[in-house]
Amino acid sequence: MNTVWLALPLPQILRDVLAQRSGRIGMAIVCLHLAVALAAPVITPQDSAYQDASAMLQSPSFSHWFGTDRLGRDVFSRTLLGGREAMLIATAATFIAMAWGSALGILVALIGGRTDAIVMRFIDAMMSIPWILLVMLFIAALGSSSAALVPVLGFSYGLSVVYLARAAALDFVARDFVLAAQARGHSRWSIAATELFPNVRDSLAVQGAMQWSWILLAVSSLSFLGMGVAPPTPDWGQMIADARGIMQRAPWALISPMLALSSLVIGMNLAVDAWARVTGVERTRRVPGA
Amino acid sequence: MKFKLHAKLVATPLVVFMTIASAAQADTVLRRANDLSFGGSESLDPISANRFYEVNDLIYSRLIRQDENGRPASELAQTWKANETATEWTLTLQPGVIFHDGSTFDAADVKFTLERIKDPALESPVTDVLGLIEAVDVVDPLTARIRLSTPHAGLPLLLMDYRVRILPEGAAAPFGIGTGPFMLDSYDPESTTILNANTAYWEGVPKLDRIEFTAIPDSEARNQAMLGGQIDYNGLTRDQEPLYAGNSAFTVQSYPAGGWFGIAFQGNQPPLDDPRIRKALRIAVDRADMLALMSGEGNGIVSCDTPVKASDPFRATLDCPQDIAGAKALLADAGYPDGIDIEVFTADLEPGMVQYAEVYQQQVAEAGIRVKLTVAPSDGYWDDVWLKKNAVTSWSQRPADQFLNEAYRSGAAWNESHFANAAFDTLLDQARATLDIEKARTLYVQAQEILFNEGGTLIAYQENGRRVMSARVTGIAAQDEDYIRWHMVGMEQ
Repeated sequence: MNTVWLALPLPQILRDVLAQRSGRIGMAIVCLHLAVALAAPVITPQDSAYQDASAMLQSPSFSHWFGTDRLGRDVFSRTLLGGREAMLIATAATFIAMAWGSALGILVALIGGRTDAIVMRFIDAMMSIPWILLVMLFIAALGSSSAALVPVLGFSYGLSVVYLARAAALDFVARDFVLAAQARGHSRWSIAATELFPNVRDSLAVQGAMQWSWILLAVSSLSFLGMGVAPPTPDWGQMIADARGIMQRAPWALISPMLALSSLVIGMNLAVDAWARVTGVERTRRVPGA
Repeated sequence: MKFKLHAKLVATPLVVFMTIASAAQADTVLRRANDLSFGGSESLDPISANRFYEVNDLIYSRLIRQDENGRPASELAQTWKANETATEWTLTLQPGVIFHDGSTFDAADVKFTLERIKDPALESPVTDVLGLIEAVDVVDPLTARIRLSTPHAGLPLLLMDYRVRILPEGAAAPFGIGTGPFMLDSYDPESTTILNANTAYWEGVPKLDRIEFTAIPDSEARNQAMLGGQIDYNGLTRDQEPLYAGNSAFTVQSYPAGGWFGIAFQGNQPPLDDPRIRKALRIAVDRADMLALMSGEGNGIVSCDTPVKASDPFRATLDCPQDIAGAKALLADAGYPDGIDIEVFTADLEPGMVQYAEVYQQQVAEAGIRVKLTVAPSDGYWDDVWLKKNAVTSWSQRPADQFLNEAYRSGAAWNESHFANAAFDTLLDQARATLDIEKARTLYVQAQEILFNEGGTLIAYQENGRRVMSARVTGIAAQDEDYIRWHMVGMEQ
């Protein structure tokens, strides 16, 4: 018996997403952000780290389109660069979260029994800890470098993926094509990879895209708290934290990174909504732990 | 009958209103914020490392305070005099002073307070300042003789320490009984602490009836509380100052102060145990530019790594322009021709602490000093990071001798850079024993020169202090908080 794939092919999904208005808007925003992040080192008009005592807290002008911050740095240049590190961390952490979360979720669904119960109770216990606390515990032990943030966020956000992957895989473990593969003597890894994964792919892809935007928000939140991206690398969360004390005097220093961050998250949400509709996936709308 | 009823209807609320109004008029309350520097473990023990300074300043008195020029002035000690070798100091005490519990202040209280500082169980940081006190003799109720283990011509300067507050003999936790202008009514550092006027205060009845401290840990929240009229007195940052400009409801003051941010490099850990590297890390800084970026031009004074405030007669006048080439040469000489990587910790504890490190990181990059900046959690920063890592630090002003002994003498508890230099320690000992003030000055200056050449703490500038008050507050001049005579502070109705 051949492998049965119940999912739609990727090109068709993309076409269907772009056929929807919210999908087009969302994809356009996300693509614009990605393009800016890639080109930022070339297109920034000024050195984002240059501190100028003679140009502190200047309002927007021709020389500083988004004004300057409290150290006289160009807010426009910092905003353009401010998403790069967070996006990079979010991408790597999402990959890790999806990889281990999906693998474990599908496997325990397939194995079932006591193993399933033990693993899921462990996941329950970990999920009962607020994500920010869990991440802060890891950061306290490992430090707050970008290299440490990736595995920490990858682990923390992978917990909810285990749930989703397991639930999605449980719909298929009793299907004929899975039973047939078991009868043929295929290993559990083989069945998980070739029979179950292709069928839960859409659910995981939608979840992965949402995870990406949640992790991006998490990185910005950690930077806001001083535990994310380290200076002098500009980061939206860090810029918001720096500017909150001067929001009445220099609102431009606060508004620019806020707009950049929120537009990217909204864009990703619009795109994922469209994707979920196309693939018939009921996506999770709540941030884990929120 | 109808008239009488109407008269009653009018008169009753009028009486109630007048009663409330007169009560309100009698109640002059100054509302302040407690920034929860010690996370709720603020202590009423004045020599505790967690001392609740703002409250202790109001409920306790010192033997000697500082006048508006920073010189010793009489408080609970009327006069003081040293013997010829400056090993014994005799203090004549103020008569007629009573504690908040009704007991009379005398020389036994001085003996108890000063000898308590050396109790090893207390681990008080004041030991580094006044550990030289061997014993205190009660000559008579109003005369105390302080015997020193080493001569010290500047003991009155040390007694001006903001923590050396007189406690009644036998005082124990939770403390709170003093001779100050205000008495403790309720104490809850995480919520509200209330102090009532001490009507028996020996310098005169305080003009305020009450001072309330409400816990507001966030700097911006304190600022909003000030703008919203929920508190009457608050510290101010450079960024916040323009919000009050031209607003007649507030009085803004800027005053010379000796406080500073710095970076304490750990001189006991390689490679920073090499004084060449420590100097390179400091001379690569453009101090004037840092002052302008952090505080605004003219809002402070450049420091060549001396912690001593500008008005102190023992401050060294040094020249320390940014020297990138010199820093590179020192690093190369120390075996780092391609520059050096160091990690500096900071925390968002006080406005500007993170930016200070950012400015440093940017300025020294040209010299090949690659700074990895780590923003540590504010909670526990002073316990877990400070003294252990290269860290941004923050100090309030102190007299020269106190500063140099407390923060730089070998083995001192708050020696945050772990600076250990025998010649430096000897200079401090000699300065303390010198009765000739000019000679003492020369010795203190030499000690500060050693700090600039070999020390481990960057002090780029000393910033002016800023405060904002309700325009109704009277009796506070544009001077550091340590000078404020709180019994003379009032509130216009």
